[in-house]
Amino acid sequence: MREAHNLSGDAAMQHLDEMTCLLYIERQLDRVHAQEVSAHTQDCAACRTLLRALERESRLLTRAMLEEEDALPARLARFQERAGRSMQWIWTVAFGLAATGVYALYTTYIGPLQQQLEEAGLGGSSLLSLLIFQGAFWKGWQSMIALLEVVALVTLAGFAVAFFRKRVRRGSALALVLAGFCAALLLQPVSAFASEIRKAESVGVASDETIKGDIFLFGNRVRIDGTVDGDVFLFGQNANVTGHVKGDVIAFAQILDVNGQVDGNIRAFTNTLTIRGTVGKNVLTFDELVNVESSGKIGGSLTLFVKTLNLEGNLGKDLLMFGEHLNLSGKVEGAIRMKGDLLTINSSAQVAGPIHFEGNKEPEVSPQAKLASPVDYHKMQHKPHYMEGHYYVWQVIWLAAFVLFGLVLFQLMPQFTKEAVANAERYGASFGLGVLVFFGIPIAAVIACVTVVGLFVGISTFFIWYASLYYAQLVVGALVGQSLMGRTSETWPLIGRMVVGIVIVRLATVIPAVGGWIKFAVIVWGLGATSLALYNRFQPTIANTPSTPYTPPPLPPNTTVGGMQPA
Amino acid sequence: MSAPGKTEPTEAITRARTGDADAWGVLYREYASAIFRFCRRALPTREDAEDATMDIFAKLMRDNKLLQYDQSRSFSAWLYKVAANHCWDVLRRRKTRQDKETEDLENVPLEHPDPNQLDKLIEQRTSEEVRRALDKLGARARMALVMRYYSDMSYDEIADALGVRRAFVGVVLLRARHELRQALGQGGALAAGGTS
Repeated sequence: MREAHNLSGDAAMQHLDEMTCLLYIERQLDRVHAQEVSAHTQDCAACRTLLRALERESRLLTRAMLEEEDALPARLARFQERAGRSMQWIWTVAFGLAATGVYALYTTYIGPLQQQLEEAGLGGSSLLSLLIFQGAFWKGWQSMIALLEVVALVTLAGFAVAFFRKRVRRGSALALVLAGFCAALLLQPVSAFASEIRKAESVGVASDETIKGDIFLFGNRVRIDGTVDGDVFLFGQNANVTGHVKGDVIAFAQILDVNGQVDGNIRAFTNTLTIRGTVGKNVLTFDELVNVESSGKIGGSLTLFVKTLNLEGNLGKDLLMFGEHLNLSGKVEGAIRMKGDLLTINSSAQVAGPIHFEGNKEPEVSPQAKLASPVDYHKMQHKPHYMEGHYYVWQVIWLAAFVLFGLVLFQLMPQFTKEAVANAERYGASFGLGVLVFFGIPIAAVIACVTVVGLFVGISTFFIWYASLYYAQLVVGALVGQSLMGRTSETWPLIGRMVVGIVIVRLATVIPAVGGWIKFAVIVWGLGATSLALYNRFQPTIANTPSTPYTPPPLPPNTTVGGMQPA
Repeated sequence: MSAPGKTEPTEAITRARTGDADAWGVLYREYASAIFRFCRRALPTREDAEDATMDIFAKLMRDNKLLQYDQSRSFSAWLYKVAANHCWDVLRRRKTRQDKETEDLENVPLEHPDPNQLDKLIEQRTSEEVRRALDKLGARARMALVMRYYSDMSYDEIADALGVRRAFVGVVLLRARHELRQALGQGGALAAGGTS
């Protein structure tokens, strides 16, 4: 406590300074100092008077400010009604636009795609399963679908919590989502991973051997002569299936020969695939060359991303091909839909369904070929896509989807988003890290996938990376919006700036010739900013202990030493 | 504003947090007058106060700032804090704020004014005269007094709103009182802290 100089008449006594007196009547002194003041005022009339005067001054101030009743001005009285209406209008428009965008996306794009996929034997029971081609590549997708549905629900729950809960702590919504993700991961059925694994230079299943369940085979030469009751996963240079596989065959190999019997599907990522045996269901492949020889039979559909297909055997359902050349000599029970360079239909060919061909050259059709209908040929158009009207319709739809995506993410992770936007201003660091993450994460994901044990982790990582490409554009959009409309630390104004910014960014990315590069730069930039924000989150924070001057703690509520003393 | 002891409209607050326009109407009718009076005290003109009141509620509704409100605490206190921050921002943007460095704040004279003279001054002045004197104060001084003696904000809240350290809130308030006494016309010696 500080004491001031003397007053006349009390020559021997040191008086309290006004600051101390003010803090005393405002109960801002700690107990010890308050007791000292209290004791002092017992003996000092001048200080008692000062305390009383200060307290009266406080009361006068409060009375003066409370006394005058300013009536609410008319325009303020009208304001509430107007504000309420404007809010409803904004929400109605926002959700209306979002719903329209989603509906348009589904009916124009996803619906027809789903139909095409179902025609190709890749039926899906739900939107999520459709998006990841249910059962197309890997049986484990079934588990992935369940997981994604759980994640979607948890994400929605996190969004709801972030939206409705009071004072959401920093990152708690994100933590909730991640916790849900981890919980879902732990709840995964272990059966999907309980399989036999064999690894050797030359590996396989002997002819007198029967494998109960799935098997993973790694080696330069992989050979299956025996019987496998479940699925076969092949990773090798040369693979040969001469035995009997009752499940699916999923192959990553340079050459795959199927001479035996596969009751399920074949999903192949190979250089050359040759089918001489029988495939009970569908074949989906990414190859350079596919041969279905005359003895080869496929019960279901054949879907290919291939350079050349020689089809001499029998195909039970439809053929969907994206590639260069189809050389057809065999029998197709369903329809053919092809987009490529050249279609050759030889004299021995039989096609029960319609043939749609979009290519560069007229199809070469033998007059002896037995076709249900003439080839429906469309010459491939090579005019720039931005010359077409629907391109712009799609741009608008994508823009609506972006805004919706951003709305959800910015609400879900407001604090993280603000940090990411702030980090985007560190241009050099953002670009540098962005390049690293852009190329590094997919490579890491592929490596994780190849190690099989990390298949789930790898695919999940890839999904997160892919989603972050969109998030990156939103972050840059928000920064652009801020540069135009000014900085903000609030969430909704930031979302507004994001909407303005993303419109500008999307417009820039559709500029012919340079648009692609702009998009790449934006993605790299935003990805780097997001990664920086994430990196900073994991940095340990050191508690800041400012060297504040002495601050008297407030008195306990039941203290008796503060307040005015009787004069 | 809710009178002391009066129950706050918790149900309306809860519903307003979900964006219920009717609930916002309830809150507005309940609190708009008090916030307007607060702004009227803190800002130079009546028009400023009207604009500020509208801006405060518009921002609350548009940004759904109610999500930041901790329902275990007093709603009116929280609302005053929001209003104080807004008014201080308004003053800052206009550069009418009389910013003084912290060091300057520390140089307030720690004197003992003549208690009898101060007591007499307080006794002689009416509420009307005090209100007129308040209008003559600098932005920081007026803001500090309004926050403390109109809306009963704590030292921590005042420090937060004014952007000063908590330890200097007392200094700001004391300096404001000195300015007020000076504006009341007879506080020269008192404000300077001199003794007679």
